[in-house]
Amino acid sequence: MMDYEPRGPTKSMGVSSYPVYYSVYLLATTAITIIVGYYILTGQGGRFDIGWLLSSISPYMWACLGIGLAISLSVVGAAWGILTTGASILGGGVKAPRIKTKNLISIIFCEAVAIYGIIMAIVITNNIGSFNQYTDSEDAVLKSYQAGYKMFAAGLTVGVCNISCGICVGIVGSGAALADAQNSTLFVKILIIEIFGSAIGLFGVIVSILQIAGSKIGTD
Amino acid sequence: MSTYDADRPPYTPFFGAMGATAAMAFSAMGAAYGTAKSGTGIAAMSVMRPELIMRSILPVVMAGIIAIYGLVVAALIANSIDGNYDLFRSFCHLGAGLSVGLSGLAAGFAVGVVGDAGVRGTAQQPRLFVGMVLILIFAEVLGLYGLIVALILATKSKN
Repeated sequence: MMDYEPRGPTKSMGVSSYPVYYSVYLLATTAITIIVGYYILTGQGGRFDIGWLLSSISPYMWACLGIGLAISLSVVGAAWGILTTGASILGGGVKAPRIKTKNLISIIFCEAVAIYGIIMAIVITNNIGSFNQYTDSEDAVLKSYQAGYKMFAAGLTVGVCNISCGICVGIVGSGAALADAQNSTLFVKILIIEIFGSAIGLFGVIVSILQIAGSKIGTD
Repeated sequence: MSTYDADRPPYTPFFGAMGATAAMAFSAMGAAYGTAKSGTGIAAMSVMRPELIMRSILPVVMAGIIAIYGLVVAALIANSIDGNYDLFRSFCHLGAGLSVGLSGLAAGFAVGVVGDAGVRGTAQQPRLFVGMVLILIFAEVLGLYGLIVALILATKSKN
Protein backbone atom coordinates (compact mmCIF):
# COMPACT_ATOMS: atom_id res chain seq x y z
CA MET A 1 0.00 0.00 0.00
CA MET A 2 1.51 3.31 -1.09
CA ASP A 3 1.81 5.94 1.60
CA TYR A 4 0.51 8.97 -0.24
CA GLU A 5 1.81 12.18 1.30
CA PRO A 6 0.66 15.20 -0.69
CA ARG A 7 2.76 17.72 1.21
CA GLY A 8 6.06 19.28 0.17
CA PRO A 9 9.52 17.68 0.16
CA THR A 10 10.03 15.52 3.22
CA LYS A 11 12.97 15.50 5.60
CA SER A 12 14.08 12.14 4.25
CA MET A 13 14.76 13.74 0.86
CA GLY A 14 17.30 16.01 2.56
CA VAL A 15 15.25 19.20 1.94
CA SER A 16 13.12 21.02 4.46
CA SER A 17 10.65 23.53 3.11
CA TYR A 18 10.53 25.85 6.09
CA PRO A 19 13.56 28.02 5.15
CA VAL A 20 12.06 28.61 1.71
CA TYR A 21 8.65 29.64 3.04
CA TYR A 22 10.17 31.74 5.78
CA SER A 23 12.52 33.66 3.49
CA VAL A 24 9.80 34.31 0.90
CA TYR A 25 7.51 35.64 3.63
CA LEU A 26 10.31 37.82 5.05
CA LEU A 27 11.20 39.17 1.60
CA ALA A 28 7.59 40.02 0.77
CA THR A 29 7.02 41.76 4.11
CA THR A 30 10.22 43.79 3.76
CA ALA A 31 9.38 44.85 0.21
CA ILE A 32 5.87 45.95 1.14
CA THR A 33 7.13 47.84 4.19
CA ILE A 34 9.75 49.67 2.15
CA ILE A 35 7.33 50.62 -0.61
CA VAL A 36 4.59 51.77 1.78
CA GLY A 37 7.11 53.58 3.98
CA TYR A 38 8.58 55.41 0.99
CA TYR A 39 5.20 56.68 -0.14
CA ILE A 40 4.06 57.77 3.30
CA LEU A 41 7.29 59.42 4.39
CA THR A 42 7.67 61.43 1.19
CA GLY A 43 4.15 62.83 1.52
CA GLN A 44 2.74 60.92 -1.43
CA GLY A 45 0.32 58.81 0.61
CA GLY A 46 -2.60 60.27 -1.28
CA ARG A 47 -1.50 58.44 -4.39
CA PHE A 48 -3.02 55.24 -3.00
CA ASP A 49 -6.54 56.15 -4.03
CA ILE A 50 -9.16 53.41 -4.02
CA GLY A 51 -11.87 55.81 -5.08
CA TRP A 52 -9.93 56.84 -8.17
CA LEU A 53 -9.39 53.18 -9.05
CA LEU A 54 -13.07 52.31 -8.66
CA SER A 55 -14.32 55.24 -10.68
CA SER A 56 -11.77 55.03 -13.47
CA ILE A 57 -12.51 51.38 -14.28
CA SER A 58 -15.19 51.48 -16.94
CA PRO A 59 -18.67 50.19 -16.06
CA TYR A 60 -18.40 47.86 -19.04
CA MET A 61 -15.45 46.16 -17.34
CA TRP A 62 -17.38 45.68 -14.12
CA ALA A 63 -20.41 44.35 -15.98
CA CYS A 64 -18.47 41.93 -18.14
CA LEU A 65 -16.41 40.72 -15.18
CA GLY A 66 -19.69 40.02 -13.41
CA ILE A 67 -21.06 38.09 -16.35
CA GLY A 68 -17.87 36.08 -16.72
CA LEU A 69 -17.78 35.22 -13.03
CA ALA A 70 -21.47 34.30 -13.00
CA ILE A 71 -21.16 31.64 -15.65
CA SER A 72 -17.66 30.40 -14.92
CA LEU A 73 -17.95 29.96 -11.15
CA SER A 74 -21.37 28.30 -11.54
CA VAL A 75 -19.93 25.84 -14.03
CA VAL A 76 -16.98 25.12 -11.73
CA GLY A 77 -19.42 24.31 -8.93
CA ALA A 78 -21.54 22.11 -11.16
CA ALA A 79 -18.49 20.29 -12.51
CA TRP A 80 -17.09 19.69 -9.04
CA GLY A 81 -20.42 18.30 -7.90
CA ILE A 82 -20.78 16.04 -10.90
CA LEU A 83 -17.27 14.64 -10.52
CA THR A 84 -17.80 13.93 -6.83
CA THR A 85 -21.17 12.26 -7.30
CA GLY A 86 -20.27 10.49 -10.50
CA ALA A 87 -17.21 8.83 -9.03
CA SER A 88 -19.28 7.48 -6.14
CA ILE A 89 -22.12 6.28 -8.34
CA LEU A 90 -19.78 4.44 -10.66
CA GLY A 91 -17.79 3.02 -7.80
CA GLY A 92 -20.82 1.85 -5.87
CA GLY A 93 -22.38 0.52 -9.03
CA VAL A 94 -19.75 -2.17 -9.32
CA LYS A 95 -21.48 -4.30 -6.70
CA ALA A 96 -24.95 -2.77 -7.05
CA PRO A 97 -25.60 -1.80 -10.68
CA ARG A 98 -29.23 -1.03 -9.93
CA ILE A 99 -28.25 2.35 -8.44
CA LYS A 100 -27.10 3.92 -11.67
CA THR A 101 -30.42 5.11 -13.07
CA LYS A 102 -31.93 6.39 -9.81
CA ASN A 103 -28.81 8.35 -8.85
CA LEU A 104 -28.82 10.33 -12.08
CA ILE A 105 -31.12 12.67 -10.15
CA SER A 106 -28.11 13.81 -8.11
CA ILE A 107 -26.24 14.58 -11.33
CA ILE A 108 -29.22 16.57 -12.59
CA PHE A 109 -29.28 18.59 -9.36
CA CYS A 110 -25.65 19.54 -10.00
CA GLU A 111 -26.39 20.39 -13.63
CA ALA A 112 -29.18 22.71 -12.49
CA VAL A 113 -26.54 24.81 -10.75
CA ALA A 114 -24.87 25.46 -14.10
CA ILE A 115 -28.25 26.32 -15.61
CA TYR A 116 -28.77 28.94 -12.88
CA GLY A 117 -25.42 30.44 -13.84
CA ILE A 118 -26.11 30.65 -17.55
CA ILE A 119 -29.56 32.11 -17.01
CA MET A 120 -28.20 34.84 -14.76
CA ALA A 121 -25.33 35.55 -17.16
CA ILE A 122 -27.77 36.06 -20.04
CA VAL A 123 -30.08 38.20 -17.90
CA ILE A 124 -27.18 40.42 -16.85
CA THR A 125 -25.98 40.67 -20.46
CA ASN A 126 -29.32 42.14 -21.52
CA ASN A 127 -28.72 45.16 -19.31
CA ILE A 128 -25.63 46.37 -21.12
CA GLY A 129 -26.50 49.40 -23.21
CA SER A 130 -24.41 52.24 -24.54
CA PHE A 131 -23.59 55.49 -22.81
CA ASN A 132 -21.18 58.29 -23.55
CA GLN A 133 -19.22 59.42 -20.54
CA TYR A 134 -18.56 62.89 -21.93
CA THR A 135 -21.80 63.91 -23.59
CA ASP A 136 -24.46 62.31 -21.41
CA SER A 137 -25.97 64.12 -18.47
CA GLU A 138 -24.27 63.69 -15.11
CA ASP A 139 -27.29 61.81 -13.80
CA ALA A 140 -27.12 59.28 -16.64
CA VAL A 141 -23.39 58.77 -16.18
CA LEU A 142 -23.74 58.18 -12.44
CA LYS A 143 -26.58 55.76 -13.11
CA SER A 144 -24.44 53.85 -15.58
CA TYR A 145 -21.62 53.56 -13.07
CA GLN A 146 -24.10 52.35 -10.47
CA ALA A 147 -25.43 49.77 -12.92
CA GLY A 148 -21.90 48.55 -13.63
CA TYR A 149 -21.17 47.98 -9.94
CA LYS A 150 -24.49 46.22 -9.39
CA MET A 151 -23.94 43.91 -12.34
CA PHE A 152 -20.51 42.95 -11.02
CA ALA A 153 -21.99 42.26 -7.60
CA ALA A 154 -24.85 40.25 -9.09
CA GLY A 155 -22.51 38.09 -11.12
CA LEU A 156 -20.22 37.52 -8.16
CA THR A 157 -23.17 36.60 -5.91
CA VAL A 158 -24.60 33.99 -8.22
CA GLY A 159 -21.14 32.61 -9.02
CA VAL A 160 -19.97 32.14 -5.44
CA CYS A 161 -23.34 30.80 -4.23
CA ASN A 162 -23.45 28.32 -7.09
CA ILE A 163 -19.92 27.06 -6.54
CA SER A 164 -20.75 26.35 -2.89
CA CYS A 165 -24.07 24.78 -3.82
CA GLY A 166 -22.52 22.59 -6.50
CA ILE A 167 -19.84 21.22 -4.17
CA CYS A 168 -22.42 20.64 -1.43
CA VAL A 169 -24.86 18.79 -3.67
CA GLY A 170 -22.00 16.73 -5.04
CA ILE A 171 -20.82 15.61 -1.62
CA VAL A 172 -24.34 14.77 -0.43
CA GLY A 173 -25.11 12.98 -3.71
CA SER A 174 -22.00 10.91 -3.22
CA GLY A 175 -23.24 9.85 0.22
CA ALA A 176 -26.68 9.12 -1.20
CA ALA A 177 -25.24 6.87 -3.91
CA LEU A 178 -23.21 4.82 -1.46
CA ALA A 179 -26.13 4.50 0.98
CA ASP A 180 -28.39 3.49 -1.89
CA ALA A 181 -25.91 0.78 -2.86
CA GLN A 182 -26.34 -0.75 0.60
CA ASN A 183 -30.08 -0.28 1.10
CA SER A 184 -32.30 1.01 -1.68
CA THR A 185 -34.90 2.53 0.65
CA LEU A 186 -32.42 5.14 1.90
CA PHE A 187 -32.04 7.09 -1.34
CA VAL A 188 -35.27 9.04 -1.18
CA LYS A 189 -34.60 10.21 2.38
CA ILE A 190 -31.09 11.43 1.63
CA LEU A 191 -32.47 13.18 -1.46
CA ILE A 192 -34.20 15.53 0.99
CA ILE A 193 -30.78 16.76 2.11
CA GLU A 194 -29.81 17.35 -1.52
CA ILE A 195 -32.90 19.47 -1.99
CA PHE A 196 -31.82 21.63 0.96
CA GLY A 197 -28.43 21.99 -0.66
CA SER A 198 -29.95 22.92 -3.99
CA ALA A 199 -31.93 25.70 -2.34
CA ILE A 200 -28.66 27.51 -1.59
CA GLY A 201 -28.03 28.07 -5.30
CA LEU A 202 -31.59 29.26 -5.70
CA PHE A 203 -31.09 31.88 -2.98
CA GLY A 204 -28.07 33.14 -4.90
CA VAL A 205 -30.16 33.55 -8.05
CA ILE A 206 -32.86 35.42 -6.12
CA VAL A 207 -30.39 37.89 -4.61
CA SER A 208 -28.71 38.33 -7.98
CA ILE A 209 -32.01 39.18 -9.66
CA LEU A 210 -32.79 41.68 -6.91
CA GLN A 211 -29.39 43.28 -7.41
CA ILE A 212 -29.76 43.90 -11.13
CA ALA A 213 -33.44 44.77 -11.13
CA GLY A 214 -33.87 48.07 -12.91
CA SER A 215 -30.20 48.80 -13.44
CA LYS A 216 -29.03 49.35 -16.97
CA ILE A 217 -25.87 50.80 -18.46
CA GLY A 218 -26.94 53.52 -20.82
CA THR A 219 -30.39 54.92 -21.26
CA ASP A 220 -31.78 53.10 -24.31
CA MET B 1 -17.99 63.95 -14.18
CA SER B 2 -15.16 66.13 -12.95
CA THR B 3 -17.37 67.74 -10.30
CA TYR B 4 -19.69 65.73 -8.12
CA ASP B 5 -21.25 65.94 -4.70
CA ALA B 6 -18.65 64.86 -2.15
CA ASP B 7 -21.29 62.77 -0.41
CA ARG B 8 -22.10 60.89 -3.61
CA PRO B 9 -18.95 60.16 -5.58
CA PRO B 10 -19.34 57.89 -8.61
CA TYR B 11 -18.05 54.85 -6.76
CA THR B 12 -20.67 55.05 -3.99
CA PRO B 13 -22.82 52.05 -5.00
CA PHE B 14 -19.79 49.75 -5.16
CA PHE B 15 -19.58 49.24 -1.40
CA GLY B 16 -23.32 48.69 -0.96
CA ALA B 17 -23.41 46.20 -3.80
CA MET B 18 -20.41 44.39 -2.35
CA GLY B 19 -22.22 44.29 1.00
CA ALA B 20 -25.18 42.50 -0.55
CA THR B 21 -22.86 40.08 -2.29
CA ALA B 22 -20.88 39.40 0.89
CA ALA B 23 -24.08 38.75 2.82
CA MET B 24 -25.34 36.12 0.42
CA ALA B 25 -22.07 34.59 -0.74
CA PHE B 26 -20.48 33.94 2.65
CA SER B 27 -23.74 32.70 4.19
CA ALA B 28 -24.12 30.35 1.24
CA MET B 29 -20.62 29.02 1.86
CA GLY B 30 -21.41 28.38 5.51
CA ALA B 31 -24.74 26.77 4.71
CA ALA B 32 -23.18 24.60 2.02
CA TYR B 33 -20.48 23.37 4.40
CA GLY B 34 -23.07 22.64 7.08
CA THR B 35 -25.32 20.76 4.67
CA ALA B 36 -22.50 18.75 3.11
CA LYS B 37 -20.76 17.81 6.35
CA SER B 38 -23.88 16.75 8.23
CA GLY B 39 -25.25 15.13 5.05
CA THR B 40 -22.20 12.92 4.92
CA GLY B 41 -22.77 11.89 8.54
CA ILE B 42 -26.43 11.16 7.88
CA ALA B 43 -25.61 9.08 4.80
CA ALA B 44 -23.08 7.12 6.82
CA MET B 45 -25.31 6.39 9.80
CA SER B 46 -28.43 5.74 7.73
CA VAL B 47 -27.10 2.36 6.70
CA MET B 48 -27.11 1.18 10.32
CA ARG B 49 -30.21 3.00 11.64
CA PRO B 50 -32.58 4.02 8.81
CA GLU B 51 -35.34 4.89 11.26
CA LEU B 52 -33.32 7.83 12.65
CA ILE B 53 -32.90 9.67 9.33
CA MET B 54 -35.85 12.02 9.67
CA ARG B 55 -34.75 13.17 13.13
CA SER B 56 -31.21 13.64 11.90
CA ILE B 57 -32.17 16.11 9.19
CA LEU B 58 -32.20 18.81 11.88
CA PRO B 59 -28.58 20.01 11.30
CA VAL B 60 -29.34 20.33 7.58
CA VAL B 61 -32.39 22.48 8.32
CA MET B 62 -30.37 24.70 10.63
CA ALA B 63 -27.71 25.16 7.96
CA GLY B 64 -30.46 26.20 5.56
CA ILE B 65 -31.67 28.78 8.06
CA ILE B 66 -28.20 30.35 8.01
CA ALA B 67 -28.54 30.79 4.26
CA ILE B 68 -31.90 32.48 4.85
CA TYR B 69 -30.27 34.97 7.23
CA GLY B 70 -27.92 35.95 4.42
CA LEU B 71 -30.78 36.10 1.93
CA VAL B 72 -32.79 38.46 4.12
CA VAL B 73 -29.94 40.93 4.61
CA ALA B 74 -28.85 40.74 0.96
CA ALA B 75 -32.39 41.42 -0.24
CA LEU B 76 -32.70 44.32 2.21
CA ILE B 77 -29.45 45.88 1.02
CA ALA B 78 -30.10 45.29 -2.68
CA ASN B 79 -33.48 46.99 -2.47
CA SER B 80 -31.98 50.01 -0.70
CA ILE B 81 -29.56 50.96 -3.47
CA ASP B 82 -31.64 53.60 -5.18
CA GLY B 83 -30.91 56.85 -6.93
CA ASN B 84 -30.45 58.81 -3.71
CA TYR B 85 -27.60 56.72 -2.32
CA ASP B 86 -24.89 58.38 -0.28
CA LEU B 87 -21.52 57.16 0.95
CA PHE B 88 -22.72 56.82 4.54
CA ARG B 89 -25.43 54.29 3.70
CA SER B 90 -23.09 52.55 1.30
CA PHE B 91 -20.49 51.87 3.96
CA CYS B 92 -23.18 50.87 6.46
CA HIS B 93 -24.47 48.32 3.98
CA LEU B 94 -20.96 46.96 3.43
CA GLY B 95 -20.58 46.48 7.16
CA ALA B 96 -23.98 44.85 7.42
CA GLY B 97 -23.23 42.43 4.62
CA LEU B 98 -19.87 41.45 6.02
CA SER B 99 -21.26 40.95 9.51
CA VAL B 100 -24.05 38.58 8.54
CA GLY B 101 -21.93 36.88 5.88
CA LEU B 102 -18.87 36.03 7.93
CA SER B 103 -20.96 35.15 11.00
CA GLY B 104 -23.03 32.86 8.82
CA LEU B 105 -19.86 31.28 7.46
CA ALA B 106 -18.61 30.53 10.95
CA ALA B 107 -22.00 29.36 12.18
CA GLY B 108 -22.37 27.09 9.16
CA PHE B 109 -19.02 25.49 9.87
CA ALA B 110 -20.03 24.92 13.49
CA VAL B 111 -23.42 23.46 12.56
CA GLY B 112 -21.78 21.17 10.04
CA VAL B 113 -19.15 19.68 12.31
CA VAL B 114 -21.52 19.39 15.29
CA GLY B 115 -24.23 17.89 13.11
CA ASP B 116 -21.85 15.34 11.64
CA ALA B 117 -20.57 14.21 15.04
CA GLY B 118 -24.06 14.42 16.52
CA VAL B 119 -25.84 12.21 14.03
CA ARG B 120 -23.09 9.63 14.11
CA GLY B 121 -23.22 9.60 17.91
CA THR B 122 -27.02 9.52 18.06
CA ALA B 123 -27.05 6.44 15.87
CA GLN B 124 -25.01 4.63 18.49
CA GLN B 125 -26.47 6.25 21.64
CA PRO B 126 -30.03 7.62 21.21
CA ARG B 127 -29.81 9.70 24.40
CA LEU B 128 -27.32 11.99 22.67
CA PHE B 129 -29.99 13.54 20.46
CA VAL B 130 -31.03 16.17 23.00
CA GLY B 131 -27.38 17.11 23.56
CA MET B 132 -26.88 17.52 19.83
CA VAL B 133 -29.92 19.79 19.61
CA LEU B 134 -28.68 22.00 22.44
CA ILE B 135 -25.23 22.40 20.90
CA LEU B 136 -26.76 23.09 17.47
CA ILE B 137 -28.92 25.83 18.93
CA PHE B 138 -25.87 27.58 20.35
CA ALA B 139 -24.10 27.29 16.99
CA GLU B 140 -27.13 28.63 15.12
CA VAL B 141 -27.43 31.59 17.44
CA LEU B 142 -24.01 32.81 16.29
CA GLY B 143 -25.49 33.43 12.86
CA LEU B 144 -28.40 35.17 14.52
CA TYR B 145 -26.01 37.60 16.25
CA GLY B 146 -24.61 38.50 12.84
CA LEU B 147 -28.14 39.02 11.53
CA ILE B 148 -29.03 41.34 14.42
CA VAL B 149 -25.96 43.53 13.89
CA ALA B 150 -26.56 43.54 10.14
CA LEU B 151 -30.16 44.68 10.56
CA ILE B 152 -29.11 47.46 12.92
CA LEU B 153 -26.49 48.66 10.43
CA ALA B 154 -28.56 48.27 7.30
CA THR B 155 -31.47 50.30 8.63
CA LYS B 156 -29.29 53.08 10.00
CA SER B 157 -30.02 56.58 8.76
CA LYS B 158 -27.92 59.67 9.21
CA ASN B 159 -30.07 61.31 11.84
